[in-house]
Amino acid sequence: MTPNFAVLQVEAPHFRMPRLWLPLFLLWIPVILLSPIIFLVIFGLSMAGQVSPWRAIAVFWAITCSLPGTHVHVSTHEAKVLVRIL
Amino acid sequence: MNENRRQILEMLAAGKITADEAEKLLAALEPDSTVTARQFTAAAPEGWNDPPPKNRAKYLRVLVEANEKGEPTTVNVRVPMQLLRAGVRLASLIPKQAQEQLDEKLSAHGVPLTVSQIKPENLEELIDHLEDLSVDVDAKEEKAKVKVFCE
Repeated sequence: MTPNFAVLQVEAPHFRMPRLWLPLFLLWIPVILLSPIIFLVIFGLSMAGQVSPWRAIAVFWAITCSLPGTHVHVSTHEAKVLVRIL
Repeated sequence: MNENRRQILEMLAAGKITADEAEKLLAALEPDSTVTARQFTAAAPEGWNDPPPKNRAKYLRVLVEANEKGEPTTVNVRVPMQLLRAGVRLASLIPKQAQEQLDEKLSAHGVPLTVSQIKPENLEELIDHLEDLSVDVDAKEEKAKVKVFCE
């Protein structure tokens, strides 16, 4: 399953950002619209690197689909960073 | 015909068990059976008596608690195992020339890792070993605790 939301929160001594819920599923709209260009770029780069473009697409798709569940939380006395992918 | 009886007969038809084994198993199903549990398990085909597979870990977790200059610092990272699997497959996208250069540089820096040997066949073994991994580091002088485990 592809990631649907990303939760992002950054706190610094002079900067405080509210917890953001980023709707990643909306990225499908530009991805679908730009898919011909994206495929051309992937094919070009794969040919330049002598790699099968289908294998490259499969690997990147596998990485994208395995992102949900990722959780990174770093907290110090003054700063805090939280990244979650749902 | 109940489900167990049908299953035994299907295994006999498929050639997975012999007629003798099927007879023992069928006898064990009878209400007034004198077949003991030991005889039943002895007659069971290969795989029946195996322990159930353990739950596979889904995440690799890294927890760090440090205390630098009296200020607490915590790091909590959870990485899905699927992401590790997919990440290792990235190595197959590295061109051979780049792999050779990478191997040379790694060995020059004392890292005996051969990127070209990272293959999907070896991947599952690596993940299996990671599932049994649990590292606890408790550095009292540095006042830091590191915990790496799978969950």
